[in-house]
Amino acid sequence: MIEFQNVSYNHKKGYGVNNLNMSIKNGDFTFLIGPTGSGKTTLMRLLYFDLLPDSGLVKVNGYVSNKLNQRKILKARMNIGMVFQDFKLLSDRNLFENIALPLHVMGFATKQIASRVEEAIELVGLEGKENHLPEELSGGEQQRASLARAFIKEPDIILADEPTGNLDPVASFELVRLLETIHETGTTVLMASHNYNLIKGRGRPIFELKNGILRVR
Amino acid sequence: MEKLFYLMIEGIKNTWRHKISALTAIFSLFILLYIVGIISILEQNSFKVIQYLRSKYKIEVFFADGISNEEAIGVIHKIKKIDGVKNATLITKEDALRIFKDQFGENIIDLLGYNPLPASSVVNVNRSIREQLKIEPIIKQIKSINFVDEINYQGNLIKKIERSYDKISSYTPFFLGFVILIIGLIIYNLIKVSIYSRRETIKSLQLIGASKLFVRLPFIFEGMLISIISVTLVFPALFLTTMGSKYLINNYTAFNLKLSIDPFLLLWLLALVTVITILASYRAVSTFLK
Repeated sequence: MIEFQNVSYNHKKGYGVNNLNMSIKNGDFTFLIGPTGSGKTTLMRLLYFDLLPDSGLVKVNGYVSNKLNQRKILKARMNIGMVFQDFKLLSDRNLFENIALPLHVMGFATKQIASRVEEAIELVGLEGKENHLPEELSGGEQQRASLARAFIKEPDIILADEPTGNLDPVASFELVRLLETIHETGTTVLMASHNYNLIKGRGRPIFELKNGILRVR
Repeated sequence: MEKLFYLMIEGIKNTWRHKISALTAIFSLFILLYIVGIISILEQNSFKVIQYLRSKYKIEVFFADGISNEEAIGVIHKIKKIDGVKNATLITKEDALRIFKDQFGENIIDLLGYNPLPASSVVNVNRSIREQLKIEPIIKQIKSINFVDEINYQGNLIKKIERSYDKISSYTPFFLGFVILIIGLIIYNLIKVSIYSRRETIKSLQLIGASKLFVRLPFIFEGMLISIISVTLVFPALFLTTMGSKYLINNYTAFNLKLSIDPFLLLWLLALVTVITILASYRAVSTFLK
């Protein structure tokens, strides 16, 4: 369950979000649209507690923004998978090592890690590329790897912040399909995008963020 | 345990992944540790040098005419009791005559009809005093003994040598401390630059829920590995330098010095560089951790 209660956050340079109220139920697939600079990334960062609100409350899976410490933030993130526009894959590690990373953080045994990584690689269709470094993969492949890394720990929530921002239309479409496949396993998905054409007509709830103000579309 | 093992392996892999920066760090550490090692070896061997030089100090004490051998032995006992004196050897009038004959091939009695050579003593100073050896008080005390007529010694030379030794042994620890401080700063900055280039990795790791310790440990293990490699390389270099210097000094100069390298120096250098590296890695990573 994701909930925003009168959430405001202002960056030093003046951008941010203003008095947001939003609720997403477990298992929903929700889109968040808005032009560049509308506050989508700020909203996402508030969700994975990279930012804490100036006022109001952010609730994610029982974690409440005003009752957090460093340890709780890390615990909260264990149940959130994140996908970024710039992939944030570790450039010095191969595909296998990148995808395996969250499991190492969670303390999984090596054997379990190997089998789960293989499954995740199969899910995103990157078989045979396990030893490739991120720079040896296309943008679409990197984003699928990023999605595999987010999904491998079987999180309750996947937050995708402009995941198609650097992809061509075909790769973008494939990625949304992959997110829908993951959603079918019961994972809550929130995907931010500025590309309305990509998300329209999918029968999913859409929130629109404009100048830091949120409304249901 | 498995996590710790993974982080250790990651530290080793990181060293390999960032070969160029690791090699730069190893090379820089090698140079810096070599300098510290050489200063330490000089400090350790400076005492051997002064001991060697002290063995060459020559104090000759000439006794008054008419002193009997028994009285001369009594004087020798008094000299031996003086603080700073290691031993004193009696050279009787007869010994002096023999030495003269050995050196010049003539019997002085045949020439003069009597033995004009006085009884004397050769005094050796204590070589094992760690601090500056003060020669003047020893000379003063010898002079105050009855039957002592004249003393020959290299006063100015001994003073200069002892003063130089005193300066070296007093300033070396400060100089070494200063060099270690500089080295600490250089290592810190080396590690900081290396970690700065990987700040995105640190950020990404935190975003997927990695704890600060999880982020820090591979960097610390990487720093430790680089330290161990550097010390492993620097020790043979220091050993060869010491042995080479020993060979050159003993074969091409008039000195006979037993230069040596203390094996504990290896442990000392390893401990020094490991502590600096761990602290530097810890601090440098902290800069990029939220």
